[in-house]
Amino acid sequence: MNDTIWTIELKIFRQRADAQRYFQTFQIEINPDEYVLDAIEKVWAFHDRSLTFRHACHHSTCGACGMLVNGIEKLTCITSIRSVTQNNGKLLIEPLRNFPVLSDLVVDTSSMFKALEEIGFNQVASLPSACLPYERKTLEHERSEYQRLVDCIECGMCISACPVSLTDSNYLGPAVLAAAHDASSQPLSNKILEIVDSRDGLWRCHNAFECSAVCPSNVEPGLRIMKMRQTVIAHRIKKLFSRG
Amino acid sequence: METNRLQKNITENVWLWLVKIIAGLGIVIFLTIHFIVNHLVAPEGLLSYADILRYYSNPIVPIMEAGFLIFAVVHSLLGLRSIILDLNPSTKVMRFVNPLLIAVGSASIIYGLWLLLVLVQRASL
Amino acid sequence: MNINKPSPSHLWRWFDPRDKSIGTIAFIINRLSAIGLTIYLFLHLAVLSKLVAGSQAYDDFLILAKSPAIKIGEMFVIAGGIIHGLNGIRITINSLGFLLKIQNGLLVGLMIIALAAIVYFAIRMFSGA
Ligand code: SF4
Ligand code: FES
Repeated sequence: MNDTIWTIELKIFRQRADAQRYFQTFQIEINPDEYVLDAIEKVWAFHDRSLTFRHACHHSTCGACGMLVNGIEKLTCITSIRSVTQNNGKLLIEPLRNFPVLSDLVVDTSSMFKALEEIGFNQVASLPSACLPYERKTLEHERSEYQRLVDCIECGMCISACPVSLTDSNYLGPAVLAAAHDASSQPLSNKILEIVDSRDGLWRCHNAFECSAVCPSNVEPGLRIMKMRQTVIAHRIKKLFSRG
Repeated sequence: METNRLQKNITENVWLWLVKIIAGLGIVIFLTIHFIVNHLVAPEGLLSYADILRYYSNPIVPIMEAGFLIFAVVHSLLGLRSIILDLNPSTKVMRFVNPLLIAVGSASIIYGLWLLLVLVQRASL
Repeated sequence: MNINKPSPSHLWRWFDPRDKSIGTIAFIINRLSAIGLTIYLFLHLAVLSKLVAGSQAYDDFLILAKSPAIKIGEMFVIAGGIIHGLNGIRITINSLGFLLKIQNGLLVGLMIIALAAIVYFAIRMFSGA
């Protein structure tokens, strides 16, 4: 990090509960190698202590700091100022889409967590099931007794970017369907099948792949939804013939 | 995702989706054949009523058109249903939409097949 | 009002490609062409009733169908059909688990084919053939 200092303008979305929303503008000075989350913290520390936003780990692990930066979903703790603006430039900071705003930049993602819980999302999975299908080929230890943390950090950014989640609050959404794929590397359970092969599940995706475009953690939810479709189609067809 | 109650009473599932996809692929295949047959059977195009009757006297034509009709109606109405589902309609609305789509679909297919039969009959005279 | 909650009233935002990737453009075109083609299908079925009315009625209708406005409309139908069909092929291939790592390239490739096909049909249609 060199010691260059930029002056930038942050235009931040403000809203308390269901009150009128508005934008508030702040000028700050910041090193361009710092991150967008640092800029927001500066606003909070030196300009307005009432600004609310979520953050915890500051290293892309907790998934708390997802926001819209200039209209695009970004994990703000790893998005450098340099990558999204220039000296004397502007940054538009808004809360994630498709989740109700609780306060300023804080959205209520509990619906996603409930659905993840229901699908049996586990932060730890066997090595092959935690990896993407194409990564499995390069695995040195394909043995299932090896485990690791799964990639999804539950930031909700994929749901924010999804056009179906935009209009349908019941659609499970990319993170949840991707988690179902994660969990289904073991034999497909009836419970998962029932959840994903439903009105709110797999068949509602329209292949925009916005989820994969914004996911900061290599989950590739779009790819996983498609793989899950493949699995369910094969399973249902096999079942049909084995019954008959 | 709003709740952990899945909306079980109105369904969207692998079979409906597969029918939509297969009908879609059917349309692509029939349209391709349609253009080829048109080109071979009527290279100048179908420029009058008489041309069309001549065209229908070739038995592959009505079969192709019937397949195309069924696939197109099924695909378009299932697609319309997908768009409606994206608007998160209530169960009540869907209880109305589902039979409506079935009725419109069946009526269109029956009407289309009847049209085809009339043409085939006239062509064979 | 909390504008962020998912709501059917946001449907106009389906068609807003700002800040989105190429997949959303495909989604938008697919949806618009779907609606257009569905309307066309049922109009087409209605118009074909003229065939049953007999030769004079239909030949009169065909003269009308040669008007430039109808021809341009037809061109839209052909373009919509080609794009919708090729995009459908992408969705099918991807949903069966194939070519997922290159899904963006697949989309671009298919749309180039679509463009070439549309140009071919446009030339055929408007060259007076
Ligand atoms: S899949 Fe990716 S974008 Fe979605 S919640 Fe998980 S980490 Fe975030
Ligand atoms: S603060 Fe934890 S992921 Fe950004």
